[in-house]
Amino acid sequence: MSPRKPAKSNIEEFVAPGVLEHGLVAPGLTENELLTGVASEASFDPSDKIESGFRQGARVFAQNKLAMISVFVLGFLVIACFFGQYVWHTNQTSLLAQIGVPQNAAPSLSHPLGTDINGFDELGRILYGGKYSLTLGFLAGLITILIGTVYGMISGYFGGIVDSIMMRILDAALSIPSLFLIIALVAIFGKSTPFLIIVIGTTSWFLTARLIRSDALVIKNLEYSQASISMGATKLHVIRRHVFVNSMGNIVTVGTFSVADSIQLLSALGFLGLGIQLPATDWGTMLNEGTQELFNGYWWEVFPVAILFIIVIVCINFIGDALRDISEVRLRER
Amino acid sequence: MLYYIARRILQGFFVLIMVLIFTFTLPYFLPHGALNAAYFTCSEHLTPSCIEGFANHYGLNQPYWTRLWHYLWGIFAHGNLGLSFKDSPPQLTGILKLYIPRTFFLALCAFLLATIIAIPLGIFQAWRRNRPSDYWFTGGTFMLYATPPFVLGFLLLDAFSIHTIHLPDSPTVGVHPWAIFTDPRGFILPVLTLTALQIGSYSRYMRSNVIDVLVQDYIRTARAKGCSPRQILVRHTFRNAMTSIVTILGLSIPTLLAGAVITESVFNYPGLGLIVVSAAVNFDTQVVLGVTVVVTAMTVLGNLIADLSLVLINPRIRITGSDR
Repeated sequence: MSPRKPAKSNIEEFVAPGVLEHGLVAPGLTENELLTGVASEASFDPSDKIESGFRQGARVFAQNKLAMISVFVLGFLVIACFFGQYVWHTNQTSLLAQIGVPQNAAPSLSHPLGTDINGFDELGRILYGGKYSLTLGFLAGLITILIGTVYGMISGYFGGIVDSIMMRILDAALSIPSLFLIIALVAIFGKSTPFLIIVIGTTSWFLTARLIRSDALVIKNLEYSQASISMGATKLHVIRRHVFVNSMGNIVTVGTFSVADSIQLLSALGFLGLGIQLPATDWGTMLNEGTQELFNGYWWEVFPVAILFIIVIVCINFIGDALRDISEVRLRER
Repeated sequence: MLYYIARRILQGFFVLIMVLIFTFTLPYFLPHGALNAAYFTCSEHLTPSCIEGFANHYGLNQPYWTRLWHYLWGIFAHGNLGLSFKDSPPQLTGILKLYIPRTFFLALCAFLLATIIAIPLGIFQAWRRNRPSDYWFTGGTFMLYATPPFVLGFLLLDAFSIHTIHLPDSPTVGVHPWAIFTDPRGFILPVLTLTALQIGSYSRYMRSNVIDVLVQDYIRTARAKGCSPRQILVRHTFRNAMTSIVTILGLSIPTLLAGAVITESVFNYPGLGLIVVSAAVNFDTQVVLGVTVVVTAMTVLGNLIADLSLVLINPRIRITGSDR
């Protein structure tokens, strides 16, 4: 069960800007201008300018301090993980190169965060593992949201028998505890890294699909969709131009959360020994190796990674919360 | 009402059948299909006779539909989940019978403890929302949610088993499945870990639910007619939030079981999680799929119980006959 409340659908977002605020007619127009349809420049007050949806979203997002801090922290960590290796040079790919390096060494000047059980430098290892955690989490989240969106939209838009069949399948899928499903798939099909992404992505989209479906159900019955259909638009057109565009806010929000969930799942697999295999690593695998050494007092193999891990998860969740707020604030301000 | 219950049971049964067919079909996507296990076992000296013998022994040569029928019939008529390709004795049901009660008990204890802690916590947070005490608790539960479960387990192990009060680091194991209950001290840490994992999501769920209840008209009415805050909380808020507790039960079984996998691996607690992981590492697909079937059945059953008890406690559903 997810602790989050699903985002509310932002139906009103795509009523033409200003229509709800001002009635159908922009304020300040003279009768003549209305009749001719030509606005003289003087009659527009610049402060009346209608904000674009994106700018409004950005403004609401920027007001959320936690989210802004999260963006900066997360951005810094991403840059550090991807480019830190050019500043802090370590060898993280060869076990042979670690011969002669003290194992489980306490933090010192040459190894600011110590070394791990294989002699890998912890600081370099954190940057290297972070690259895997973030990339795989992002890709798996992307797959989740892709499948979930397509499935949910088809089910919600077509409705009827298609919808009931697709939803019953979803019911069955949701009743297999996903960690067991992942373990089963990994046990049967092996544990190569690309496959891990696909497994996590293809087993986490069920709830997403449900959410997008309920969005599609609402949107397809709104006036603009109905108008479009009455003018002879194809189903694909309506799904693409109306249903998809209008549930975009929810899709992005859910996608953000699923990145965090994927990183968590990946770490769980790493702990169970089914995740990324040596010499490659991710933060979950590192934490697993580190916790085995915790009882020896090698705290540097656990706490730096654990703190970074928690920071990343918390940051992504704050950003997701802020994205959800955007659609809710839009509803309120309109 | 009866119609609703019957429909709900039928739905659960249907879901279970679909999952069974899915897990049964999964190995067919392997190289060599259902015979993959034969190739795997015979990999030392790969001869046709070895494969033939293995396949005949486990009935792998029969057509798909015959095997599926035998599989489903075996489960529903005899409670027979099939054979493990590795363990001896190979009867899966016999193996799992040892492990199911252990995991069930672990999950049940953790669930009860977590609800006992999280429900008052969530109500308190909602009542004091947007004040410092709410922020502290929300932050704390959020940290619990963000920490990888196994790290939490190891930190507890480090703190309470190694450094301070020396609780046993894993439960007592015996031949009999109930031997584990002879020394309850070994239980404490696994249950605590699993509880801590659940508290974060439960209390957040409870908090948002109670906030939804607190803005209802009947709360305002109660306030207006002069109810004390205590009466409002107990009579009006808690009773209306009760339904969400039952919903939590239904929704949280998959996470509870997933948490059990991690907890069992940390504490070497011999339950379903531990055997599924060791089977996965050893590529014993039969055991993995068997456990998957069992936990799915537990989930379906739990959801069924949750839905039916929701009918019992919520008169609004009882009258309309359906909640969806």
